[in-house]
Amino acid sequence: MSKKEKYVMLYLIDRCIDCKACMVACKAQWSVPEDHFRTHVDEKFDIVDEINRESRMYFLPSQCNHCDDPPCVHVCPTKASHKRDDGIVYIDRGRCIGCKYCIVSCPYDARFFNEELGVAEKCTFCLPRIKEGFEPACVHTCLSRTRIFGDINDPESEVSQVLKEAIKRKDKIWKLREDLGTEPNIYYIKS
Amino acid sequence: NNSEKRNKSREYGLKKIHTWCEMCFWGCGVTALKRNGKVFKLEGQEKCPNNYGKLCAKGNAGVYQLYDPDRLKSPMIRTGERGSGKFKEVSWEEAYNYIAEKVKKISDYYGSKSLALIAHGSGEHAFISLLEALGSHNIAIPAYSQCMGSREIGWWLTYGMGFTGHEYGDGEHSKCMMFLGRNILEALQVGEAKKVIDGLSKGAKLIYVDPRYSKTAAKADYWLQIKPGTDLALLLGMINFIIENKLYNEDFVKKYCYGFDELKKEVKQYTLEWTSRETEIPAKQIAEVCYELAKAAPQCFIHPGRRLTRYGNDTQTVRAIGILNALFGNWGMPGGFYVPVAMKIKTPHMYELEEEHGKHKFERVDGAGEKYKLAPKNLGRENGLFEAILTGKPYPIKGLFVYGTNFFEHYPDNKVAKKIANSLDLLVTCEIYMTETALYSDVILPESTYLERWDPITIQADKYPFIQYREPASVKLFNTKGAWEIASELAKTMNLKIKYKTVQEYNKEFLKTIGISEDVLKRDGCYVFPVKKGMYPQAEGKELKFRTMSRKIELYSKFLDRLGFDPIPKYTKAPNPAPDEFRLLFGRMSYHTHARTQNNRWLLALHNFDVKLWIHPKRAAQLGITDGAKVRIRKGDKVSDELTAYVTDLIHPECIFIPHGFGRFSKFMKYAYEMKGASDAEFCSNGVDPISGAAAFHNGFVKVERV
Repeated sequence: MSKKEKYVMLYLIDRCIDCKACMVACKAQWSVPEDHFRTHVDEKFDIVDEINRESRMYFLPSQCNHCDDPPCVHVCPTKASHKRDDGIVYIDRGRCIGCKYCIVSCPYDARFFNEELGVAEKCTFCLPRIKEGFEPACVHTCLSRTRIFGDINDPESEVSQVLKEAIKRKDKIWKLREDLGTEPNIYYIKS
Repeated sequence: NNSEKRNKSREYGLKKIHTWCEMCFWGCGVTALKRNGKVFKLEGQEKCPNNYGKLCAKGNAGVYQLYDPDRLKSPMIRTGERGSGKFKEVSWEEAYNYIAEKVKKISDYYGSKSLALIAHGSGEHAFISLLEALGSHNIAIPAYSQCMGSREIGWWLTYGMGFTGHEYGDGEHSKCMMFLGRNILEALQVGEAKKVIDGLSKGAKLIYVDPRYSKTAAKADYWLQIKPGTDLALLLGMINFIIENKLYNEDFVKKYCYGFDELKKEVKQYTLEWTSRETEIPAKQIAEVCYELAKAAPQCFIHPGRRLTRYGNDTQTVRAIGILNALFGNWGMPGGFYVPVAMKIKTPHMYELEEEHGKHKFERVDGAGEKYKLAPKNLGRENGLFEAILTGKPYPIKGLFVYGTNFFEHYPDNKVAKKIANSLDLLVTCEIYMTETALYSDVILPESTYLERWDPITIQADKYPFIQYREPASVKLFNTKGAWEIASELAKTMNLKIKYKTVQEYNKEFLKTIGISEDVLKRDGCYVFPVKKGMYPQAEGKELKFRTMSRKIELYSKFLDRLGFDPIPKYTKAPNPAPDEFRLLFGRMSYHTHARTQNNRWLLALHNFDVKLWIHPKRAAQLGITDGAKVRIRKGDKVSDELTAYVTDLIHPECIFIPHGFGRFSKFMKYAYEMKGASDAEFCSNGVDPISGAAAFHNGFVKVERV
């Protein structure tokens, strides 16, 4: 019996050039309202060489981490926010009453309030697309192949292979705020 | 159940229509996704060599542009003073008749040579055909004088060819790439940025030269923070170092280069110490990058640059880049420069002139091919044209057609641009927005956006030559027309002796010539010719041919010698700003194209509706400017609107940097207007490169003050 899917995302951040195409592709795909975005890319500085005061700029994408222990699901009074079998944290808009508790509870600022519909909104890992065998919109448009998406429970999948190689190469691999115990599912990888 | 599945299926009710993107000029293949009559998403065509299925932020934001409520919705004729914004909506017939009447008046009094055109975009040739039929050849493509002219001429003098729209650095196979100011990962064109990243992820080294730490610098192994204006010094110093240390490809130079001995003699003066002092780059760094390039050769290249409207010595700077590349023998080699393969196809014509107008009997006003012998006549010199309009010499230009370009934002000084507009009897602008140029026009012809119109199949010579197909993805949302529609209708109104095909007729003929069915184009959006070789002639063992006077790569330019210019580049210093002034540098953001996209709210939201001014901490402290403070640019009485200070040592203290395209004054582009910021066109220099006749913008000196 094959294992159930578990969807994760990898960011190969050496490749990211902060073009923000991902943010706009997602916005078009899901008619994200007003000036909101469901994914972001931020600028960060890293001290590469303390002695020569050399620092390097790099770019960090971010979006909902579809955590295994998601605070947003725990606090939701109506079970609108729920964790699916395939790992995706999804919002059932029909149940959402717009209390905004989940928005406040997310340590990653991944959620926002959709004023028009009166519900919470966030990245869905493009569930309707991936069920048809398409890549998430952000992954599809990324011109530098920064984003790798797929089923970590499938050892033949791209995410599994790329993650394995990164570990072998001793790349720096981390997730955001692991100390909070949310068990996020987006891996940041840097050589 | 079935109906549930239908409703949830992504493919259900989805229409896919192909076109190419026109949010910038690279031309990524685009598939428009349409549902319930609305285009809701744009995606890249998988097969298109311009982008291989990817789209940048601007490409994705084409949806916003299509539905932008600020778009021009109807032809208009001015009713108030130029720039007042007072227009009346008219029918196309009325607009055409107005134009025809004015054109006749001008032609009768001044001659048809008094009509001119500046154009940029896929409808260029539609308007060029009109001017040809009218009997004028005062046509200028702004991209020559305001952008790549010096780059084209510099390279042509050295290799016997230019690059036109695509540069041929083979990023994906390269082991070492060097860029001087070509901010390739931020002023981005999808396909080439993608290939550079591919190369970098395979371990290629990146050398980036810029007074500013841009996003390309962020990926660089070497960032050379050069003193502005000294690019040529660096290149000459590198050439000397490479010759002295025998880091060049002796066989290639002997076989394919003309003038090596003269070059060696001439560059001796540019020692490593001198170069380091002049450019303010540590000698160790200069030597290191030379060794990196030599180690990777021939799988290395120094990018020729794209916009070379910098210091006024830009043609010679590109000559130096060409020479440097030649020393590494990378022409026609993988990882160096590939040579584009052009398909020998007899393409049909969209139009046929029914009589010759003797247009060659009178001189052009812009100096192309004459005062500036090397400036090509088919591209013209826009800066020369505007000078002629202002001075009335050699003869008056009284009618100007403007297509898809906004000279208020790309020609220095708004006061001058206003003068140009006011000295014309007729200014016609074909545009999609009420730009500053449209605001000053007599007649505005609203073009349909690229998603709403037909345009003839285009052909691109490249590593793998290909053709691209366009059909409208959306119905016309407003009372607009495509450029070819306008040209043929206007020609009819003016009784011009010219016959146009429809786009559909042209496409049919074209596809018949190459034997490809339209179904293939409707399915894929593009067709790539099955070319397997020709792009790496040196690697393929072919004899290299260069269309120069010596038939070799000219390190020593015989043509320049003949014209009385330095046959080997000599270093000339750029003027320096006073101690209380800054050199104004400007460039691109990843999310904008020129001055075209600043009304696109999706794109403005990406940088939080903020326009930054980069300034060094030492200079900022002297002016009491802290990071995040509101500042503005001043030049005498002229003062810009506010920008946000970005205080950082990632910019050379001598200069400031602002992104191009802001500081707008057309209130009809609501969001662009609200962005404030500064227009570099107001504050930059307006020099001229003596060889190419192209412009030089980076010698503008300004003050910065707190608001």
